[in-house]
Amino acid sequence: MTLANAVVLNLYRADNFQRPVGGVVCVLVMVVWTAVAVWAYAAPRRRTVGLLVADLAVAVALLGVTPLVKGDGFNATVPGFWVAGALLAWAVRYRWVGGLLAAVVLAATDLLVREEVSQANYGNVFLIVIGGPIVGFMCGSLQEMAAERDRAERTAAAAAERARLARAVHDGVLQVLSLVQRRGAELGGEAAELGRLAGEQESRLRTLIRTQERTAERPGEVGGDAVLDLAAELGRLESRAAVTVAAPATPVELPADVVRELCAVVGACLDNVAVHVGPQAPAWVLLEAFADRVELSVRDEGPGIPAGRLEQAAAEGRLGVSESIRGRVADLGGTATLSTGSSGTEWEIVVPVVYGRH
Amino acid sequence: MSADSAEQAIRVMVVDDHPMWRDAVERDLQQAGFDVVAVAATGTEALARFKAARPQVVVLDLQIPEPDGVGVTREALAHDPSARVLVLSASGEQADVLEAVKAGATGYLVKSASREELLDAVRRVARGDTVFTPGLAGLVLGEFRRLADPAAATDPMQPQLTERETEVLKMVAKGMSYKQIAERLVLSHRTVQNHVQNTLRKLQMHNRVELTRWAIEQGLDED
Repeated sequence: MTLANAVVLNLYRADNFQRPVGGVVCVLVMVVWTAVAVWAYAAPRRRTVGLLVADLAVAVALLGVTPLVKGDGFNATVPGFWVAGALLAWAVRYRWVGGLLAAVVLAATDLLVREEVSQANYGNVFLIVIGGPIVGFMCGSLQEMAAERDRAERTAAAAAERARLARAVHDGVLQVLSLVQRRGAELGGEAAELGRLAGEQESRLRTLIRTQERTAERPGEVGGDAVLDLAAELGRLESRAAVTVAAPATPVELPADVVRELCAVVGACLDNVAVHVGPQAPAWVLLEAFADRVELSVRDEGPGIPAGRLEQAAAEGRLGVSESIRGRVADLGGTATLSTGSSGTEWEIVVPVVYGRH
Repeated sequence: MSADSAEQAIRVMVVDDHPMWRDAVERDLQQAGFDVVAVAATGTEALARFKAARPQVVVLDLQIPEPDGVGVTREALAHDPSARVLVLSASGEQADVLEAVKAGATGYLVKSASREELLDAVRRVARGDTVFTPGLAGLVLGEFRRLADPAAATDPMQPQLTERETEVLKMVAKGMSYKQIAERLVLSHRTVQNHVQNTLRKLQMHNRVELTRWAIEQGLDED
């Protein structure tokens, strides 16, 4: 475009030329060099220092010969805005330093070849000197941003690949552990003990993976004090022997302190089961999330608490676990109800909540 | 058990990408008198062999090479709605299990379940019963709660559980056996089973409606 501009302007003002042949030669040089430059710059490996120097030299030379072909006291140089091509090339290649250097060289040449410097000439030269470094600086920023984005993309891809590998490895380990557990139980004796151990590890690992996956889905909140997923946190309790946790598939996000307190309460209920029914006694935890509250249930199939025993304990001034559970739930604004009978004991905990929605 | 094997050998297909597991499950099933008509290690294999071998029950791991267990469930049941899918999963990935159940699976067991539990589950699933773990009941309950959330409940087609169904499902989620539930609620074992089955049917129905609606919206019904 600058070439077309320069060619047309020179044709239009052909009568300005004192040496028309020289003028034609200059224009031809510009046409040829533009073609060469377009070809040369197209391939990254040809963008050498030599090319850039040559580009700038051609521009400077054309500026320099202007007084010869147009005579002293000319108004516009032969190449005119065509020199911007070389300037931009330098700016793109060597950032703001290159832009400034090329601009200064071109400006100095332009000013030196003129007999007198008009306001307009000065304006144009000034624009070149300002524009060169600015374009160079922008190119630099863009390249840095692109590099940064590439880095971020690579990091994300690596993390995803790690997660995928971890899943595959974990899945394999889980399979083996489950198998050992199953076969061990069938073989009996020492193998049964091995199987039991494998089963415990399987359940622990499964819980860990589940919790990690839930956390990984929300990297923004990791370590923050904002919200935790109650379902995932309760899921950790499954690493205890014979505890089954049932919860919704979608995260139940609540303020972190509420989640910690609820987990502690459920943990206390489970401790109670372990003490009163037995360390291997099965227990079930159910979490249900409603729009305004969460409901938790902790159930066991122990012999139950004999009627009057809790009251008796309270009367003796021993508050015991039950009162501590009730108190902690009450602090959260909820209620904890204990029902007990020959078929087992169940705590039902209801706590009003405001979800950590964003 | 022997009556089972003699009279009607149930045709089973085992899909798992871990050869060790696949062999173990296959051996257990064969020893118990089941007819293992096919095994497969990937989703593609599973679908091809499902069509050829026509099993009554597919014992399916969800974590298999493409298409995954959910996709296999959907495709297989579309091809033969009378088949049953029992999900046997080591990963315990909640969302996947729920998706598989929505796609039509009627049973779910974790892989650490014992040999007897597995055999019993295959028999029950083959009979048309649903095999629920407390974990699965919790997932299904949670899904109905989510659908009933006032914030999301703009849909007149919203599936809803009756009070009785909710009660039964909750008890399953709390680890009670069908027998215990039947005693507690003074119902027959069969009625409890029906209630549980209905909850799944409603969820699967809703899922099909959703899929169809989505397909219509996307203009997929035109080609």
